[in-house]
Amino acid sequence: MIVCHACDLAHRFDRIAASARVRCVRCRAELYRTNAANIDSAIALAATALVLFVIANAYPLIALKVNGATRVVTLTGAALGLYDQGYATVAVLVVFTAVLVPLVQILSFLYMLVALRAKRRAPGLKLLFRTLGALRPWGMAEVFILASLVAMVKLSADAEVAPRIALAAYGLLMFTLTALTSIAPVEQFWQWVGGARE
Amino acid sequence: MTTLVTGRSLGLWVCTRCRATVRSIGPESSRCPRCRAPLHARKPHSIGTTAALAITAALLYIPANLLPVMHTKTFFTDEDDTIMSGVISLAHQGSWPIAVLVFFASIVVPLLKLVGLGEILYAVLRKSVRYTKQRSRLFRIVEFIGRWSMLDVFAVSILVTLVQIQSLATIQVRPGALAFAAVVVLTMLAAQSFDERLLWDTHSDG
Repeated sequence: MIVCHACDLAHRFDRIAASARVRCVRCRAELYRTNAANIDSAIALAATALVLFVIANAYPLIALKVNGATRVVTLTGAALGLYDQGYATVAVLVVFTAVLVPLVQILSFLYMLVALRAKRRAPGLKLLFRTLGALRPWGMAEVFILASLVAMVKLSADAEVAPRIALAAYGLLMFTLTALTSIAPVEQFWQWVGGARE
Repeated sequence: MTTLVTGRSLGLWVCTRCRATVRSIGPESSRCPRCRAPLHARKPHSIGTTAALAITAALLYIPANLLPVMHTKTFFTDEDDTIMSGVISLAHQGSWPIAVLVFFASIVVPLLKLVGLGEILYAVLRKSVRYTKQRSRLFRIVEFIGRWSMLDVFAVSILVTLVQIQSLATIQVRPGALAFAAVVVLTMLAAQSFDERLLWDTHSDG
């Protein structure tokens, strides 16, 4: 029996294929998705995301050239600018959604998946899973990328602006994170957990 | 017509975190055996929480749009920018696609979220049984697009950090940005605290 989380309709299944996507017959919400994905691919994506995250934070995102002088902004620098002007709350929100949530997502996935690959359940796995679920709507890498483009277009009217290496890394990070969450959907994840020991 | 059976009528609950279907052991809440998340038949105090957050967001939507979000100072200009004036200046600049994007993300999306949540709550309160499918689709759209309103907050944070060239050009944050960020957070929380099943519960009361 699977009950729909969105409309409470009960569905009876005899058997579900190893790679399946099942929707609720009444409200079309996704009931169940597994993709028979290889856990190694998920780990590779998480490791790639970590490298991209480091590059995205270590180098400048955007450069602004005025009168021969160049000013650059980094990811965390963008939040510090708000903090310096007395908007600490907004600064915290920016750091949280653009930096902290993606980092926690990458590290938790790596930690849990590496253990699951060795057929072991990492300590704190259930807590981490719930934390990731709660954080998921708050990770906003893709919104930040678009905002960088908006800022560049705004400035391009009066100054010379150029994207830098971290912007490319952050853009790739956005895709890697999306791929990671779709390669390890909830049911798939719990199947891996089911095959591991305490 | 086939009869539709709900989880509630079978004594089955769904975990909101891991979506496991669990046999309920009593009226009071317990924890999910799979992921240990708190289990409830329905999210507790869903309507009140969603309404309170949405009303607060609706009130803040006014200063978020009327107050300036940033202040630009150069040799030639010394001006405040609201969300809307930012969109207009992008359009004047000829960047139409970007102007449309910001207009949607910053003005249409928050309004759609507030009106959408209001409509959905009103439908639940008067136990409407019509258009439930459409409302559930509307709710999923509201849930999905919520994050995109952060666009302007991020853009302002980049601009105020980058454009700090003393004597030439500076950009400062203004209180509108704070109100706007609050609207984004509050509407996201409002959508998260709403229990979509309330829309469907009216269908299975008999």
